[in-house]
Amino acid sequence: MMHPIYISATSIISPQQNFEYEDFLQDIKSSDDGTLFIIDPNYRDYINPVAIRRMSKMLKMGISTGMNCLQQAGITTPDAIITGTGRGSMVDMEQFLMDMIKLEEEALTPTAFIQSTYNSVNGWLALNTKCKGYNQTYVHRGTSFELALLDAQLLLNESNSYKNILVGCYDEITPDYIKVKSKIGYWKNPVPDSTLDLFKHNDTNGTIAGEGAAFFTITNNKEQTLCSINTIKMLQDANIDDVNNSINEALTANGMTLADVDVLLCGMNGDARQQPMYNAIIENTESNTSIAAFKHLCGEYDTSSGFATWIASNIFKHQSIPEILLQKKGEHSSVKNILLVNSYILNSTSIILYRSIS
Amino acid sequence: MADRIAITSLGIISALGRGKQANIDALTNKRSGLNHPVHLKTKHSNEFLLGEIDLSDDELATALNLPTGDNGYTRTTLIALLAMQELMSSIDMEWLQNDSFAFINANTVGGMCSVENMYLDFISENTRGEFIQYIDTLDCAESTLNICKYYDIKPFTATLSTACSSSANAIMLGARLIKQGVVTRAICGGCDALSRFTLNGFNSLKNVTKGLCKPFDEERMGLNLGEGAGYLLLEKESDAIARGATILGYLSGYSNTNDAHHPTAPPPGGEGALLTMNEALRTANLSSSDIGYVNAHGTATLNNDEAEGKALERLFEDKAPIFSSTKPYTGHTLAAAGAIEAIFSLCTLEQQKAWPNLNFEKQMHDINISPVTEVTDINVEHVLSNSFGFGGSNVSLVFSKA
Repeated sequence: MMHPIYISATSIISPQQNFEYEDFLQDIKSSDDGTLFIIDPNYRDYINPVAIRRMSKMLKMGISTGMNCLQQAGITTPDAIITGTGRGSMVDMEQFLMDMIKLEEEALTPTAFIQSTYNSVNGWLALNTKCKGYNQTYVHRGTSFELALLDAQLLLNESNSYKNILVGCYDEITPDYIKVKSKIGYWKNPVPDSTLDLFKHNDTNGTIAGEGAAFFTITNNKEQTLCSINTIKMLQDANIDDVNNSINEALTANGMTLADVDVLLCGMNGDARQQPMYNAIIENTESNTSIAAFKHLCGEYDTSSGFATWIASNIFKHQSIPEILLQKKGEHSSVKNILLVNSYILNSTSIILYRSIS
Repeated sequence: MADRIAITSLGIISALGRGKQANIDALTNKRSGLNHPVHLKTKHSNEFLLGEIDLSDDELATALNLPTGDNGYTRTTLIALLAMQELMSSIDMEWLQNDSFAFINANTVGGMCSVENMYLDFISENTRGEFIQYIDTLDCAESTLNICKYYDIKPFTATLSTACSSSANAIMLGARLIKQGVVTRAICGGCDALSRFTLNGFNSLKNVTKGLCKPFDEERMGLNLGEGAGYLLLEKESDAIARGATILGYLSGYSNTNDAHHPTAPPPGGEGALLTMNEALRTANLSSSDIGYVNAHGTATLNNDEAEGKALERLFEDKAPIFSSTKPYTGHTLAAAGAIEAIFSLCTLEQQKAWPNLNFEKQMHDINISPVTEVTDINVEHVLSNSFGFGGSNVSLVFSKA
């Protein structure tokens, strides 16, 4: 079994006010149209103004979050950069595609095409940080971020020459993307009056759309870190038994049972087709375990596990669980173990075990 | 001594044909697959030569026993499945599932080849129509997941996308997952179908030649795009021997580094390419003099060949390497290139032949080395295969003789 890895710093841009904020989910944002778009920070603090003009939202949030994360960790050049994105830059892809259709394949400019390349955030981050080391981009829908984390774990287990790895994720939504996916039943219709009421509507199909970027510096030295990541598991088209078995495997491998989990962080998205799986997992928990959820704050998107990992890191850091996340308060005292179970739409499920370092 | 990573099965489709033997025949007979496209419906079809697979979508579907017409499978997935079919022909899927295994796929534009022809329907008010079958195919993972669905398997799956080095990265990841004990075996590779999106994208960058590409030639004018898929089965040597498998070669070294120089261009001195080749040799415990042939990235763009040429010159110092780019045969198959050229490298080891760099005429001023231009018999134990991509994503793989 591979050794655990440790999170030493985090950064996030999300639909909530948390980029460069110390408060942990206190001032909560919501919307009434079933979508949660990110709050744009001042990107000029992280990207030069000439480049910013042509950049899509995804590039801006990816690069800014990555650079801010390194600043917080006090690292100029990481040893490797590994990211995940479910969809890449939808804005650039749509723009180049529509230009090509409208201009009938003539007189096209390359900017959107270059930026639509899935590893463009990685390329920029490598350039900005002069990082010539390992560089990887996963584009595997709902488990893109998990694969990036697992790759970091592989690297840190392979060689002691890696000390600090920048791992992140980013996904953006566009009006066209929302429209296209509405045709295959991704979203709730009608939409909830408030995104914060998402879980009150878990008797109907569909969810709400979201987006965001999250970055972490990952190391193999637990000194001055926020928490460890011990086990990462990914499942495709899994049923309830598959997920429960996988949870047990993850816990057993770490000498734990479900009773040791202080916080069960659930990626429930309000979709009636998904809720039974979460209900079955929650049913197995004991009274000590707190049940928390987060997609009413960030919406559903491929790399929402980045948002969840930021939450887990901050629960350890603050040793408190923001009220807005709590579905049920457990009787545990401190928080030592957090288990994330996160499904994306109806396709994939991931399981991540985070542990306190104390 | 640590267990080596063996390659025990493979599958390939390219403009040179279906299957390893068809590809070897074309390589040996200096028969290029570049032509004006028939199946890609582009305004530029008379202008550019492309490495198109000589089968329509319906013919691809028929070869896979799938219904013809709008069947929900993109061309990307169809060609990937044909390459997988060859790989799977020598192994049993039930046996494969007895142990943990990974399917690592690579891709640059997902199902864009289909989506670009129906996108106006996608964003219209229509909620019904044949296009709905393709509505979730724009992302890179669509081919990975549809291949799993076709075979009804649920392995460890991953899709990665690092532009032109994508499937070389997939092969490297498979080896690393096996070495760390995450999985026992891994099927690794990549696929890309020609699309107007990609053709027009590279054309807007002025990277596409109007004629045939001329890698490492002073008068090179850019690349030809191609399509294809390649997959390799990786496992530990001890596992391969224990089951009596035929070992086709070994993946003995690999490296992934980044230029950290420019979004679409390498440093002209070739520092990035040199770093990744040196790293690959270091992990293989070999020196440059052990390398008998280099399958170069050699896109025939001004930037790549200058940087890669200089890097090769610096790596091999006084001893000129036997090297060539096989892209004049297949076109640049983007995410599939790393896997296709890995297979060509394995064919070099098996046949003890270096593949010629077609269309080379005029020595580059910037470098003193030149590619091999004829099918050449060589004594070769180790081959280096280069894949360099946008975003400065460089990968080199070292393959060794079985």
